[in-house]
Amino acid sequence: MTRRVLGPGFWALAFAAGALGQSFTERGFLETDFIGYPQTAPNDSGQAIGEALFRYEAFYKLDSDWQFAGGIDARADTHEQVDRAWELSWDDRESRRPSFEVRQLNATYSKKKLTLVLGKQFIRWGKADILNPTDRFAPQDYLSVVDSDFLAISAARATYGGQSNTIDLVWAPLFTPSRIPLLDQRWSNLPSGIALTELPPSFPGGSQFGARWNHIGSVAEYSLSFYDGHNNLPLFNFQEPQPLTVDVERYYPQMRMYGGDAAIPLKGVTVKAEAAYFTSATKTEDEYALYVVQVERQAGEWFFIGGYAGQVVTEHRSVFDFAPDRGLTSAFLGRAGCTIDTNRSVALETAVRQNGKGEWAKLEYSQAFGAHWRATAAFTLIRGDESDFLGQYRRNSHTMLALRYSF
Amino acid sequence: MNKTCGAGSKPAAASQAALLLTCLFSLTTALAAEDARQIVAESQRRGRADSQRYEGSLGVISANNKVSKKHWQSDRLGSYGNSKALIRFTEPAEVKGVALLVVNHPERSSDQWMWTPAIGRDRRIAQQDRSTRFFGTDFSFEDLEERDVGQFDYSLQGEEAIDGAPCWRIESKPKEGKSSQYTSSRVWIRKDNYVPVQYENYVKDKLVRRLAEKDIQNIQGIWTARQLEMTDLGRKSRTILKLENVRYNVPMKDADFTVQALRRQM
Repeated sequence: MTRRVLGPGFWALAFAAGALGQSFTERGFLETDFIGYPQTAPNDSGQAIGEALFRYEAFYKLDSDWQFAGGIDARADTHEQVDRAWELSWDDRESRRPSFEVRQLNATYSKKKLTLVLGKQFIRWGKADILNPTDRFAPQDYLSVVDSDFLAISAARATYGGQSNTIDLVWAPLFTPSRIPLLDQRWSNLPSGIALTELPPSFPGGSQFGARWNHIGSVAEYSLSFYDGHNNLPLFNFQEPQPLTVDVERYYPQMRMYGGDAAIPLKGVTVKAEAAYFTSATKTEDEYALYVVQVERQAGEWFFIGGYAGQVVTEHRSVFDFAPDRGLTSAFLGRAGCTIDTNRSVALETAVRQNGKGEWAKLEYSQAFGAHWRATAAFTLIRGDESDFLGQYRRNSHTMLALRYSF
Repeated sequence: MNKTCGAGSKPAAASQAALLLTCLFSLTTALAAEDARQIVAESQRRGRADSQRYEGSLGVISANNKVSKKHWQSDRLGSYGNSKALIRFTEPAEVKGVALLVVNHPERSSDQWMWTPAIGRDRRIAQQDRSTRFFGTDFSFEDLEERDVGQFDYSLQGEEAIDGAPCWRIESKPKEGKSSQYTSSRVWIRKDNYVPVQYENYVKDKLVRRLAEKDIQNIQGIWTARQLEMTDLGRKSRTILKLENVRYNVPMKDADFTVQALRRQM
């Protein structure tokens, strides 16, 4: 775990660049959220949570070749999902969300067909919208499983190519895990009455590597991708040193991925497909394939996305895991939205397991006030069977009210 | 055409007259079409530059007169046909960084990608989605692509004054194979400086969008409309785009107009 005080160089860069005018841009927001759960959970009686997030991002273009980006998040909440220690996190390995975090800090060098990005950065692969099996350099914050957010990773990324063909090489020397639900809170869905102790997680050493070739043609876009590293979602070891006392240890299995994705605009709809096959040298990790097929269409102010996500397990070995990507498979996925006018929009997202044992739906209404303020109201409904990945969260349906000031 | 006009050895007088009229009509139509095409080509030639940069100030005025303000920066490399353009929103705060890359092609419709920093993804704008409004403005995605002269058939429909300036009125229809939401368009081009000052876009026979170009100034030798007003007649809303700090032939790199470059934040 790496914690450090934000270096003066970051702020010096930001403010010095600010004086230079056009080459400097910044943006950010302050958002306060209220989340209400109508039901309690066996291990969490809290039904109301308040959260606040301040995000600041700055971008400085030194010249036509060099560009720098930096960003910081500051958080607070009422439910101890945010660490109370006032320290700065770089690597996002904490169980709780850090109170201060370097969101990104990277340098970009671009010359002719080559682009190099070094530092903490966001890397997104894949073309599908709701589930991306090939998106291996994109760990997420799953503290509230269905409202996840992406985490940046420390990496070196080289992209070479023009508009038609690009090769993307990524090397990540430091492993960044996805953040999973806290054991003592409702999204871990654990029974009460058992003393759970989380042992220090076992983070893998070594580096992660990935390569992706992407082709943009006049009629379609497609890519092939490869990843060799570790799954950012954990497996668990459980030990019972004494009755009703369980020690839990997270560990991250080795993973190799072979994937591909494509987007094909047809006359009426755009078809997108994404698939990946995962192997592992870790004896307790499954070998499996994930795939998504979706169609999307924009009609006036409406957009529609509908698809199916599937899974084929070729070798079943895991016992205890946390895998929301696989939990959203064998499911029909949908998203629809409408821009009512320049200030108002409404959106609906849903996932329904094909066996009917789990459903998730989120309805969101958002309205802007003036140039800086936006209010959002959302209702998330989760239903299903206790044995289903989605259904196990059936007590976690919730409402969310958010007020954001952007600058 | 020559073969048709010269056909027939000894036609009757009436047939001769009819044939002559047909020939004259065809010839006139062809010449008019040629004239219309030449006018549009000349208009595009006079607007050519290696690159263009401007800061756009947008006011979107809804049917009930609510106004929302937006700003973007636009860079364009090249001119009609093979040009590339990158539009990046700078205001309001919540859409800052949203960007659109338009890669125009002389032989087919443009390719377009939109970058949304909040989700960290770029999205290709499919052909069938080009009639959608661009980020809450009254410009559709298709309106942001350049119309290469070779992709349309033209006919000169007459002459008409716009704001007191004599103009040619020319109708354009997309050629077969050119995908467009519009069945036809009319453009008014000023006779004195070949600047287009008004467009009307039709779906079948219904006028759906009107673009008025105003405040025309000579900037670095190129007549430039500093104000564009797009009216969506269906929604009864309009967007006024004012071009500020317009500069031509600014040094730009081809590599800054790719999907990779789109993902960069500035």
